[in-house]
Amino acid sequence: MTRVLSPVSGRVVGLAGVPDPVFAQAMVGPGTAVDPARGPGQAIAPVTGKIVKLHPHAYVVVDAEGHGVLVHLGIDTVKLKGEGFELLAAEGDEVTAGQPVVGWNPAVIEAGGRSPICAVVALDANADALSDVREAGEVTTGDELFTWR
Amino acid sequence: MSERKVTIESRVGLHARPAALFVQTAAKAPGEVTVAKPGGKPVNAKSILAVLGMDARHGEEVVISADGEGADTLLDSLEALLSKPEPESA
Repeated sequence: MTRVLSPVSGRVVGLAGVPDPVFAQAMVGPGTAVDPARGPGQAIAPVTGKIVKLHPHAYVVVDAEGHGVLVHLGIDTVKLKGEGFELLAAEGDEVTAGQPVVGWNPAVIEAGGRSPICAVVALDANADALSDVREAGEVTTGDELFTWR
Repeated sequence: MSERKVTIESRVGLHARPAALFVQTAAKAPGEVTVAKPGGKPVNAKSILAVLGMDARHGEEVVISADGEGADTLLDSLEALLSKPEPESA
């Protein structure tokens, strides 16, 4: 069983609150999303495991059970080509849940005309494998977003 | 087993959005479907984790393979997805 933690502080909006149909319709996978607090912050590893893929705006951590969690920082942020993001870990690193992975400032993303909403997605999972999924309310970095069995 | 070499035209590469569409299409096929960088190890094209992990970029070639009934039709669909500059605007 994997406890998936919020990579950022902010307001939980659920996947349906992501202004991108691919995430909103759970095509990437089931999960939830957080509208992050504006201001400089650090996005953390949502689980303990290995960073199998690290882009400035998105990363995937796979835990010991093989559960891969995608954290996608903002929408269409791939087009920023890393601008406004600072890597605090490296691809291939073993990280502990809560460890900072990327430094960013959601206010800057928003000022650039993009949504900073952060999707947290269980990859290759059926929706019914997730339980206790947060869909609303305030969270602090490291609070549990959902459980994956 | 049918296979095909395709150049990735999506400007963002085979990333979240194009990858999701790609995997969703591959997952409908009854048989095995794989994708690989030329000379690389083929990965399961039905796994979003595997496809994102492969990290195929804009302008790179990949080899897609499928077996079983409807393999060529499936490869047509996958090729069309990869050959579109921005699949989401379709």
